Amino acid sequence: MEIMGKISEIPEIIQTFAKRSKNVFPPIVKNCVYQLLVNKITWILVALLLLPCILGIIVYYQTDDQRQFQDSNGEKIYVDSEGIPTHEDNRETFLDISDAFVISFVAIIMAIIFSSELINEEFENKTIQLLRTTPIHPFEILLYRYVAGVICMFGILGLNAILFYYTTMMPSGTHGIIENLDVLLMVLQVLFFESLAFIAIFCVFTAYLEKPYLVGILYWIIWESFVSGQNYQKLTITHYLNSILFDSTKAMGWDVAESDYNLINSKDEIIATEPLIAMIVILTVAVIALIIGSRGLANRQF
Amino acid sequence: MKIKLEQVTKNYGNVQGISNISLDVDKGITGILGPNGAGKSTTMKMILGLSRPSRGIVTVDGKDPFYDWQLKKNFGFVPEYDCFYEHMSGLEFVMYFLRMHDFGKEEAEKMAREALSELGLDEAMERKINTYSRGMRQKTKVARATVFDPKVLVMDEPFQGADPTTRMLLMNKMIEWAKKGKTILISSHILHDVQSLTDNIALINNGKMLAHGNRHEIRNLINVPRPISIVPVKNGNLRKLAKRLLDEKWTKVIAIDEETNELTVETTQTEDIYVEIPKILQKEKITVKKIYSEDDSLDSLYAKLVEGRQWK
Repeated sequence: MEIMGKISEIPEIIQTFAKRSKNVFPPIVKNCVYQLLVNKITWILVALLLLPCILGIIVYYQTDDQRQFQDSNGEKIYVDSEGIPTHEDNRETFLDISDAFVISFVAIIMAIIFSSELINEEFENKTIQLLRTTPIHPFEILLYRYVAGVICMFGILGLNAILFYYTTMMPSGTHGIIENLDVLLMVLQVLFFESLAFIAIFCVFTAYLEKPYLVGILYWIIWESFVSGQNYQKLTITHYLNSILFDSTKAMGWDVAESDYNLINSKDEIIATEPLIAMIVILTVAVIALIIGSRGLANRQF
Repeated sequence: MKIKLEQVTKNYGNVQGISNISLDVDKGITGILGPNGAGKSTTMKMILGLSRPSRGIVTVDGKDPFYDWQLKKNFGFVPEYDCFYEHMSGLEFVMYFLRMHDFGKEEAEKMAREALSELGLDEAMERKINTYSRGMRQKTKVARATVFDPKVLVMDEPFQGADPTTRMLLMNKMIEWAKKGKTILISSHILHDVQSLTDNIALINNGKMLAHGNRHEIRNLINVPRPISIVPVKNGNLRKLAKRLLDEKWTKVIAIDEETNELTVETTQTEDIYVEIPKILQKEKITVKKIYSEDDSLDSLYAKLVEGRQWK
């Protein structure tokens, strides 16, 4: 009965949230985005992300004079010594480095740091105590911070992906850049869903724990890295991100197999998830994580 | 708004924060007094819903402040410690929390400017908080807590670090707010501050409620002789008065100090003595310079309640 009563209150609560979001949402997001952008660690991560871009520029200028091209209807198509268009190699380089370095490494570190900064800093500065004496629901406290985290994480990773794509594809000329925009869009899509999922999951750790870094790193290493290659990988976010990547690359006509993305179990059975379902699962996980996180925040005592 | 604590205990692991505290707070100013670590802040945090009692019940207007987040629109909280977004200006900080109370941007700015201005921060309000002095920070905290006209104002050590001018300004404001019908709860370990604001006090020590109510009434409950000093105009009347007072059954001890021309009578019936002494003086035709009791201060009251241990 009590649960039913609480469920019946949900529409009213959502209505209240929506009504006052115009006043509550902008200052929280603005403040959080500011906090994230002035953080030194953010800029260390940005510098780390720029390394492949710098490498791309160096390679471009070192090999610029060796480039060959073929003219096709007035368009320059750059080719290698065997006559194969260079953009095919370059787009693979872009995808491989984005997957191994950005999606699987920097993005997760960024999610751990951002979620910690967004919530733990409020605890350390004790401003959370002031917030908890205002009439805003813990879910709102968490949700708006989460949105700020996603905006910043996706903003930084997305801009970096565009820059990295450009520097990697530069040797392929304008034709190569335009021809492979779908690869860039795929990476952006994965980064967006990754931001949605991981910021939410790490926000849960931060809402419950005073020192969430260690648990976040352990989660990443044990759960997302180890379990994601095993039979129970459907319990990990990495599985769904890989499913989106696999399906998109296949749709682009690339020669890829499920095993390239570890989407098989120990019996070599294919366990890839449909991309639409993968996206729905990620969104559901994010919503559930926020609800659990807000419970943690509501029950924290000072 | 009515605040009620019923047999509230708060434990932090094996450490007891407060033990079995019962307290009723109504409109006006109530002072929670006790040395550092006595449990004042813990009590306040439970009233504000920042902490949950391990045992007992805390209610504000019959509602549980820990779970009822909408109840918090009535709460203004001035914490003991600094808790700012240092990169913001005082104006932005106050505005930020007004927005949390669902005020529009323009309205919030107008209200924040007025509140900060009233507390003397006209020139500093647009400066970053990290450039503020302690007094300015204190005023900003008070402005933030009071700007939306809360019904309950909880102020934890509000005078800490405040210069005398700020202290006086805050005191006058508190009296003004109390007159407007707000429920104000002030914690302090500086007795004098609270004494000049209210007679309604709660004394806490080691997490336990020592006494609660009017400080004069509390004093009367303590069954130890209370010294009252009388200074006659003429030196010659000193012994005459002492002799007369010895006839009264409420007199326990009389001491005479001829150097200062002062007579001290000790009694347990404190209420009677202030009525009886003038009658005696009138009958004996003795004029006096003053009648006073140093023992009436909160310091001595607390000292008695904690059995002579020093107030920190």
